[in-house]
Amino acid sequence: MRDNDPNQKPSSGCNSGNCSCGDGYDQKLNKKTSRRNMLKSLTAGLLAGTGMVNSACSVTASDDEKDQKQLEWEEFFKGNYRLMTDKEKSETVERLEKLYELNNGKKINVSAQGAEKDVLYGYAFNISKCQGYMDCVNACVQENNQDRSSQMQYIRIHEMENGRINFEDAEDNFFHEVPAEGHFYMGTQCYHCENPPCVDVCPVEATWKEKDGIVVIDYDWCIGCRYCMAACPYDGRRFNWATPEIPEEEVNKNQHYLGNRLRKKGVMEKCTFCIQRSRNGKNPACVEACPTGARIFGNLLDPDSEIRWVLANKKVFRLKEDLGTEPKFWYFMD
Amino acid sequence: MNNRVSHMIRALIYVVLLPFATSIMPGCSGHEEHPHQEKGHHSIVEQLRHADKDTIEYEVSTEELMADIKKVLAQVPESEKEFYVLERQSMIKSYPCSNCHSVPLEELKAESKDKKKAHWNIELVHAGSDAMECSTCHDTNNLDQLKTITGKALTFDHSYKQCAQCHSQQYKDWIGGAHGKRVAGWAPPRLIYSCASCHNPHSPAFKPRWPARLNTQKLKELNGK
Ligand code: SF4
Ligand code: SF4
Repeated sequence: MRDNDPNQKPSSGCNSGNCSCGDGYDQKLNKKTSRRNMLKSLTAGLLAGTGMVNSACSVTASDDEKDQKQLEWEEFFKGNYRLMTDKEKSETVERLEKLYELNNGKKINVSAQGAEKDVLYGYAFNISKCQGYMDCVNACVQENNQDRSSQMQYIRIHEMENGRINFEDAEDNFFHEVPAEGHFYMGTQCYHCENPPCVDVCPVEATWKEKDGIVVIDYDWCIGCRYCMAACPYDGRRFNWATPEIPEEEVNKNQHYLGNRLRKKGVMEKCTFCIQRSRNGKNPACVEACPTGARIFGNLLDPDSEIRWVLANKKVFRLKEDLGTEPKFWYFMD
Repeated sequence: MNNRVSHMIRALIYVVLLPFATSIMPGCSGHEEHPHQEKGHHSIVEQLRHADKDTIEYEVSTEELMADIKKVLAQVPESEKEFYVLERQSMIKSYPCSNCHSVPLEELKAESKDKKKAHWNIELVHAGSDAMECSTCHDTNNLDQLKTITGKALTFDHSYKQCAQCHSQQYKDWIGGAHGKRVAGWAPPRLIYSCASCHNPHSPAFKPRWPARLNTQKLKELNGK
């Protein structure tokens, strides 16, 4: 799978000596210095024990390999993102970018941008507008680098018979001209619950709610136990049963650590309100792609936002409200 | 292959460390707390009522995202808030219409009998012919602009006012944010699509079509393969 084009080698190979990565044991045991030294010497030993770690600045194949091993090693022992300092966050993001370049010869941009003050994201879905076109699903898959081979989708569009909401008898894999006579469409995805049961059950705290209300997963901390999937009352989570496959030219290289960066086998993922977009002020890909304007996104804390107008002026409802999960995802009709 | 080894090591680490790590987990209180969880099970809508700030100082902005997009400030006296709509006039291919429509329509019809016709294929599928004809919206004396029902002039950039004359509920929802959609970003300043950005004014209903995709993998699973 690796593209070994010699023209695409990275220009710098000189980072091997100065690792200052934090990690899980550091965070828990607070013995940063001693463990880091241990790690460094271990790494040096691993790299053939020739003392080459500090010597190499020339760009040769073996240097790249060495860099790669070192980076992989540091990545492997890094900590839970939620507990990282800003410095550690930028370091891991940098390592991920370098590793991708070493492996694929292409540059990616991984962001560690944090939540903005006074922002709590919310979403509204107009079931009178949705026509079942599924443009949102396509946009989401492309934006968020979802596995193409298993055809993973965060969004499901349920085709229901007019009259009542009934997921049992709904069809979420229709392929006929839409909208079908006598039917309406209801989109579901992760609702970014304010009281998310999925977060409560995670045994390793690999999933949590950010300050702007987005429920995220640290793909490198997740152990794939799937407790969260079982705990989610809304079918919001998706699991990688195999290594996700995305054709190199289709990889969205504009990534966020907690968002659409490439996942691996055995980890959980889900909608992140396109954290890599929303934290830059953009609308999520589904909102942008929807041709009918059925999807509304914005800041719940801003009384001037569209989402707040919808909450105040439309008859909104949420699914399974009695559970107390407080989804930040409302449905309404015209 | 590499992957599998690392996975095994990782799994092992978790097996050994998990009971240990979880037992000391509550101890790391110096780290980021969960600001919203503390509030317990108060409804989020209730929380919002108390959380409102007079002004929010955003770090993000749609300003940059919409810098290259042609827009006009909406003329909406119904709204206290300012917002932009997409420009329309500059999008019309053969604007100004007076390039061809230099004489009254009847005259033009008479003199261009055997000339090539423009927009001959437009069919009006909008309300009924009792309610609507070309001249309901187009100003036959000046085809560079539109006119309201009472004959007041309207530029194409503000054609949403034309629509608002009949579709008052949609107009209200559009101003508020429940109808139509934002261009580029969610943060202020607000730029939204105009009615005619999504609806063809001559045939405004959305057309039936095929969905953008079919999940063949799911189909296989359903069929038990
Ligand atoms: S919808 Fe499910 S996955 Fe999303 S926050 Fe709620 S419980 Fe968690
Ligand atoms: S699958 Fe991952 S995120 Fe979900 S509960 Fe298990 S470790 Fe936590």
